[in-house]
Order: sequence, then structure tokens, then C-alpha cells
Amino acid sequence: MTPSEKHLTEKESLDLIAMMINKAKNSYHDTGIGAMMWGSIIAVCSLVKIAELQFDFKLPFDIYWLTILAIVPQIFITIREKKERKVKTYDDIYMDYLWLGFGISIFLMIFITNALFNVWEPMAIEYNQLAGHSSPYDLREFIAPLFLLLYGIPTFVTGAACKFKPMLWGGLLCWTCCIITIFTTIKIDLLLTAFSAVFAWLIPGIIMEKEYRKAKKGLATANV
Amino acid sequence: MFKDLDPILHSQLRLAIMSLLISVKEADFTFIREKTTATAGNLSVQIQKLKEAGYIDVTKQFKDNYPLTICRITKQGIKAFEEYVGNLQYYLGKRKE
Repeated sequence: MTPSEKHLTEKESLDLIAMMINKAKNSYHDTGIGAMMWGSIIAVCSLVKIAELQFDFKLPFDIYWLTILAIVPQIFITIREKKERKVKTYDDIYMDYLWLGFGISIFLMIFITNALFNVWEPMAIEYNQLAGHSSPYDLREFIAPLFLLLYGIPTFVTGAACKFKPMLWGGLLCWTCCIITIFTTIKIDLLLTAFSAVFAWLIPGIIMEKEYRKAKKGLATANV
Repeated sequence: MFKDLDPILHSQLRLAIMSLLISVKEADFTFIREKTTATAGNLSVQIQKLKEAGYIDVTKQFKDNYPLTICRITKQGIKAFEEYVGNLQYYLGKRKE
């Protein structure tokens, strides 16, 4: 930049303000590691669950416990990313709250669905005893749409707010799959959940990571 | 009534710093240097002037044994910046008349 005391015309001043505001706006690049990790975990959990149903075996633990375990590396990733961040924008703060809200909602949804199962299961057993056949109504068929509905919200908002189209489309895909899974069997529900996780988080995460590396390389070159 | 343009803000580098800081919650010294492409020495002087005017807050910390300077705009700084932009628009409008 030219000397700080250079006289500016009114037009130059306004142009400079607009240029710097734009520079600040384009400064944030997510590393995409969190999105890649969650995309992979949800996809793997869903696929393992399909395998359990398809090949009639059961793991000694619920595969979805992996999602709880993944919170630990997520905390480390978040702390490291925050440390590396040279700027804190207002968008970052809103995004942090949005994803925190999503995490709380998922936890509450697990709690609610478990409570529902506790009520539904004895009823289903009683129905089976009285009717001599299992109930045509299976509560498990309606769990995936609820989770896909939630997956869509932060994904769509992040995509729209950060002008990142892969996530925007990923959010819309979650909601499309949410509608489809209302009418499909559990196996298809799980398959669509895995599909949504790959296209809403894993692939956008890979794209983000590439863009982050590119931006970092660009900055390093500019500083030489 | 419109006053003269604020001399603290009516300088290229100081205006660039304030325009960056008005758009973000906080930014560190290296970020501001990258975006303004100013030299470290010149940037330090201008940041100090803005701090003395009460337009920005400067916090000094250490990260991995390296000094870290974090800058954020103050309420007084926001007010001054808005007033400055308002005056610029007024003068530009006047010139067109």
C-alpha cells in the first residue's frame, strides 16, 4: 500500500472502504475436516446397520455409539481451527451457534425417539400376542425422516450463508431423502441416510478442504 | 450539519484498517497486514494512532511463544466510521449537484 498519509478523494475513500469490506468478507475458509469426519461416520454407521439387517448379525455394541465417540476429535478439531483463525467474523459466530443448536437438537431427538420406543415396544409385543401376527406399523420406519429433516437445516443454512453451493444442494438433498424415507423400508431409509451424509457433508468437506489448501497456498505465495 | 472529514480516518491505511475491522468481530495483526499489504512498521504506527483516538481496542497475547496482536473496533470507532461515510456520501452528492 502507498504511504498512509496519501490524500484521498471522496470517491477513492468510498472505493477503498468497499474493497476492504469485500476482502474481509472473502477471508474465511473452513478446513472441511469436521464435515468430512461427520459425513464418513454417519455413512459408515448407516451402512453397518444395513449390513446387520441384511446379513442377520449383531455387533456387540450399537454402531451409532461412534457418533458419540466422534465428539472428542470434533472438540480438538474445533479448538485447533479456532487457534489457527486469524480473523473472527460475525458469520463465524452465527455458524458456531447454528451447529451447536444442531448438536443439541440431535441429542434431544435421540432422547425423544428412545422415549417413544419405550412406549411403543410393549404395545407392539402386546399386539403380536393378541393378533397373532406383528403390527404392520413399525415406529422404526419413521425415525430416519426425522433425523434427515434435522440434517438438512444447518447444512442448507451454512450453504446459503457461506455461498457454498455443494452444501446448499446437500441440505436440499437431505430434505428430499426425508420425504422419500417416509414411504420406504428401514434398509432403504438407512441407505438414503448414508447417501445424504456422503453428498451433504463428506463431498462438500473434501471440496472445502481443497479450497482451504488453495487459499493457504495463495496467502503463502502473496507473503513471499 | 456536516463537519470536515475526520483526519484520523481520512488516510489510506487507517481507513483500510477501519474498513476491515468494521466487517469482522476481531482480526489479528497478520490478517490486517495480509489484507492491506502494508509493512509491519507502518501498520503498527497506524494501529497505535487509531488506538489513541479510541477507535480500536488492541489486545496483546502470546500464541506458541509468538506475540499475537488482536484488534477490534470500538463503539466510538463505529460511530466515527459511520459519520465519515455519511460525510463522504454528502460531499459526493454535493459535487454532483
